[in-house]
Amino acid sequence: MTTRRGFLKTAGALTAGVATVGTVGTACDVKDPSAGNATGQDNGAERVRGFDRVLLDAVATAVLPASLGAPGIRTATDAFVAWADGYEPVAEEMHGYGYADIRYLPADPSPAWRAQLTALDLLAHKHGTDGFSTLPMAQRQELLGAVLRDQRGERIPAPLDANHVAIALLAHWSSGPDAWDRALGARVTPGVCRTLGDATRKPLPVTMEPKA
Amino acid sequence: MITHSADIVIVGSGITAALMAASLAEKTTKSILVVEAGKPTTPFAERVRARERWKAYGESPWQQDHLDDQNATGTTWGFSPSMNVGGLAMHWGGVSPRYSPEDFRLRSMYGVGSDWPFSYDDLDPFYQEAEERMGVAGEQGPVALDPRGKPYPLPPLPINYNLAQLQQWATKAGIATWSNPSAKNSVAQDGRAQCQRCDTCYPICPTGAKYSPDFTWDALVARKRITLVTETLVRKLEADPKTGRITRATGNRTTASGEEVTIEGGTFVLAAGFVWSPHLLLLSKSSAFPDGLANRSGLVGKYLAGHRNVNAYLRLPMELFPGINVQHSLVSKQFMRVPRSSRYLRHDLRIWESSVGREPRLRGDDGQVQFGDALMKDWQQRAKGATARVRGYYDVLPDKDSALSLDAKKSNRFGDPMPNVSFKDAPESAALKEWQEEQLRELFRTMAKAGGGEILRMENSANDLGQEHPVGGCRMGTDPTQSVVDAHGRAHDHENLWVAGAPAQPTASCCNGTLTFVAVGLRTAAAIGGAAV
Repeated sequence: MTTRRGFLKTAGALTAGVATVGTVGTACDVKDPSAGNATGQDNGAERVRGFDRVLLDAVATAVLPASLGAPGIRTATDAFVAWADGYEPVAEEMHGYGYADIRYLPADPSPAWRAQLTALDLLAHKHGTDGFSTLPMAQRQELLGAVLRDQRGERIPAPLDANHVAIALLAHWSSGPDAWDRALGARVTPGVCRTLGDATRKPLPVTMEPKA
Repeated sequence: MITHSADIVIVGSGITAALMAASLAEKTTKSILVVEAGKPTTPFAERVRARERWKAYGESPWQQDHLDDQNATGTTWGFSPSMNVGGLAMHWGGVSPRYSPEDFRLRSMYGVGSDWPFSYDDLDPFYQEAEERMGVAGEQGPVALDPRGKPYPLPPLPINYNLAQLQQWATKAGIATWSNPSAKNSVAQDGRAQCQRCDTCYPICPTGAKYSPDFTWDALVARKRITLVTETLVRKLEADPKTGRITRATGNRTTASGEEVTIEGGTFVLAAGFVWSPHLLLLSKSSAFPDGLANRSGLVGKYLAGHRNVNAYLRLPMELFPGINVQHSLVSKQFMRVPRSSRYLRHDLRIWESSVGREPRLRGDDGQVQFGDALMKDWQQRAKGATARVRGYYDVLPDKDSALSLDAKKSNRFGDPMPNVSFKDAPESAALKEWQEEQLRELFRTMAKAGGGEILRMENSANDLGQEHPVGGCRMGTDPTQSVVDAHGRAHDHENLWVAGAPAQPTASCCNGTLTFVAVGLRTAAAIGGAAV
């Protein structure tokens, strides 16, 4: 039987060794688009998409605000899965000001994120439970806290920069207009095309009740 | 071998080329051929999707808008490898300030840099023409700070709720600000929609509210007023050794076929920006012109100019809501119109809303990882209050050896050496740099204090990357020994060769440059139109 101390120590190692996910919109190493094998891609094979939804939902309910309500959490998780499935590895990045070379987006981060979900489940088994998804909320959060204990905390990274699936899910949700409106307590809907004339008015407050 | 011919041949299809072509199409009945090395740009109908993918993943909305083997090296901050119909201005931000009158008389007024061969008043009608052709939305600032002959063609983008709070703060700090002029439709016009503050002007406007050159090209092609030849790289201009007249341009298709192309014309216009215009002149050397064309002065590729900036984020005791319209800002020209003093410093000033310091974080104040409602509560606390971003571009005067050269180690598929860009400050700018940047930092500290706020962080341009809104390489002037082209952009050495826009400019002021590039190009177009009719 794994001790609690040993269990959490093992958990901390679970973010190590995953493929480093590149940066969107910031300076990063130039990826060689021809190096399909080097980036873990098999250009001839169809990409595996999706996640173990039971495990992903268990992570989502642990990291996303309960105040979103179950439908809100499900919507955020659906959106994350759609985003991850829609990712096109090694697409051209925007080349703007600051550098003249053409850069490419990184390898598909989803395989590492899927493996992390599996690892969370294995870890829960080692702890003598049926699996991660059956752990009580407090234990799931405690386990995730241990897994993520070496993460830098000053800000949540962009989703593609996330080196753990829990961070990626959190990052994807928190970068959206609904999350920002909740944080600001106002209906701003950043990044959404809106009427120009409304810009002069103070944004209306939003209600914080969970979605029905 | 493919052969084209036209009365007027324009090399390049960026924003200056587009608006010059529109002007020439009205001023003359001569045939106009435009040659672009790259492909057509992302069609308008695909831009909503392209925007979504950029927002979601950082994908370029302008896929395949470059040639892999046609690029510059060196200090290339302000350079974009974009090479497609519309050029870099397919992803510009639309910010469209004018230079100030002082920019044209730096030597006379301040004893530094160079005077231009014409004045602000001379350029005013071409500024107006540029603003009208693009559809610039703006409000005139105080007349003493922001002189202009006529009103802006479009009403200003509104001072939104956030900017209104920030404007009150700037006023307290003694700074006059107004709505930044922008080539964005504040009202629907010219068949394009009203701005919907999608906040992705850079890099892509999904609605067409922001002006981009493809709109002009589409209209000119539809009217059969120009011929637009794409995927054709002009690699050399040939000149008659006796008369100096340009006789033809030669090059190749950039498609897989790589066929040779010859273009014959009566008038040749280089409108290919500050890199590719001088690059082509340097490539066009021959036994009669061993240093390249238009280069009797030895100044082709020299005097590259731009500006740097100091940027700061300030926390202020007010309530802002980041995201109302992040890409719109307040502007001031108060520090561009300064009297002569013992030390030279001119800069612009822009003020934006910002979300810096107000984002969610994984760890709370206790350092522990937080999730769920605890994270949300922490974020709501952090989101209260206000962050402002302020930035000043300051004028950097170019050294003669701020230059573009041919790099023998890097060549394209045809064996042409590629350009290497190296910026160098004139001695007076190099000597003033530290002091100038400290003056800007001190201004931001003063502004923070005036609003009862504090500086969150300040940063300078990355000096090793180059300069912003770059110009030069074919500088204009009245003395053929000290300049490449005359006051209208005509090469001193070749009566039928013109260089348009940014490369012809002696200096780059201390604000965004595109409107001036276009205005200078339109002045050239007027001269060509007068000569060609």
